[in-house]
Amino acid sequence: MTLLTVNGFTWLVTGVGFGMVIVLLIVLIFILKGLGAVVSRLAAPKAPKAAKPAVQAAQPAAAPAAVKESSDEMPVAAIAMALHLYFNGAHDEEPTQITIKNVERRYSPWNSKLYGMNNLHR
Amino acid sequence: MEAIIEFFKSMGFMNMEWQQGLMILLSFFLLWLAIKKQYEPLLLLPIAFGMLLTNLPHAGMFHNELWVAFLDETNAAYHSYGTIMKEGGLLDILYIGVKAGIYPCLIFMGVGAMTDFGPLIANPKSLLLGAAAQLGIFITFLCANWMGFSPAEAGSIGIIGGADGPTSIFLTSKLAPHLLGPIAIAAYSYMALVPVIQPPIMRALTTKKERAIKMKQLRPVSKTEKIIFPIAITAIVSLILPDAAPLIGCLMLGNLAKECGVVDRLSKTMQNELMNIVVIFLGLTVGATATADTFLNIKTLMILCMGIVAFGMGTAGGVLLAKLMNVFSKEKINPLIGSAGVSAVPMAARVSQTVGQEENPGNFLLMHAMGPNVAGVIGSAVAAGILLTMLG
Repeated sequence: MTLLTVNGFTWLVTGVGFGMVIVLLIVLIFILKGLGAVVSRLAAPKAPKAAKPAVQAAQPAAAPAAVKESSDEMPVAAIAMALHLYFNGAHDEEPTQITIKNVERRYSPWNSKLYGMNNLHR
Repeated sequence: MEAIIEFFKSMGFMNMEWQQGLMILLSFFLLWLAIKKQYEPLLLLPIAFGMLLTNLPHAGMFHNELWVAFLDETNAAYHSYGTIMKEGGLLDILYIGVKAGIYPCLIFMGVGAMTDFGPLIANPKSLLLGAAAQLGIFITFLCANWMGFSPAEAGSIGIIGGADGPTSIFLTSKLAPHLLGPIAIAAYSYMALVPVIQPPIMRALTTKKERAIKMKQLRPVSKTEKIIFPIAITAIVSLILPDAAPLIGCLMLGNLAKECGVVDRLSKTMQNELMNIVVIFLGLTVGATATADTFLNIKTLMILCMGIVAFGMGTAGGVLLAKLMNVFSKEKINPLIGSAGVSAVPMAARVSQTVGQEENPGNFLLMHAMGPNVAGVIGSAVAAGILLTMLG
């Protein structure tokens, strides 16, 4: 008994079914690539305008290059800025209190009778 | 005295058949797996408890005969939810949600609200790996049909290879409702066993050098792309394949609620309250379908065997396609991420990460594997839609 004894309909479902999954997902790949291209093109002109004033204030000459920096260079720039501020005494004062208050609210107006009653008396 | 005798006669112990006793023991084993071993406890625990409840003699919580009549065209109760509401127990009434295909869709909504499709949008080629991993579904369909199952039953067994519990339940409730218990239990059990099943297959199909491949960092994805993605996918997939619309639509609705940022309350409800409630109902009722007479037979054993074949073939399909892509592409892909193409989010992606780090501790594959992983969710829903269209 071999797989060849399986009737033609089963082979058809197997072949066509798997083929359709592949084709449909390939269509989605092209759509996603197109979507990515369109969105990045629409977003591209806006980026320099938003970044210009802040960068110019700090380092006017390096402004155009800074905008083109890849995302990998951003953390390095942030660390460099933090070190610069620290060694020049410009680091902001931080509170010495380290206790973390739990501000999570477990109740909402929908499930808390107390919360609802307090609101009624206002 | 007669009353005492009657009381003893009505006790479950006096009315228990050996098959029911065996099923109760099996439910204890599954409860142990869920609690002690923590194998998919969120689902395995309610499933096991549902199995326990349904096999208690005279408890009357689930009536298999009502559902047999529900499917029998010659019976007066054929497709009559009224009869179920009138004569059914608690689990019968909750089971209506499975029968009508409501629970799997609601679970998909929660899954969508918890999933970040960013890695997939950043690397759309991941969709190919998600598609290749569906190979297990169709090969198992072929094998199950060869072993004597009808095409509809074979399709339901094959979908176990999608490693997606809600999709398995959705398709089986439409194509072969009488097999729902064994298929759901096989699907969820094997999903829990992904870290055991996948690594040997991954290691067997790849070389050390391939497993150590480092991949380029993914590009950042904008919020606009993340918002357009669920809308576009729903429209395109549903227009091409209407039968996949319930699953894909709910998955993408959940994701849109998460990404758009204006319905935070709805998104949180989908992720937490709604998801948890539906998981309880779904688990209990799926477990309840595992009655002794439907579960203890040779077919169940065959389904469990076919399920593991489906998982293995799906894993192999993803890994082999990743290797094939490496032949044609300039940027090398670590073939281990191909195995994440079976859904099982996010466990399959974690397995890729773990196996990859065995070869190269500095290699971080998790985000790369999340792409094929979420592509697998879409792929299995599409495969379910295709099987429903062709076999339903």
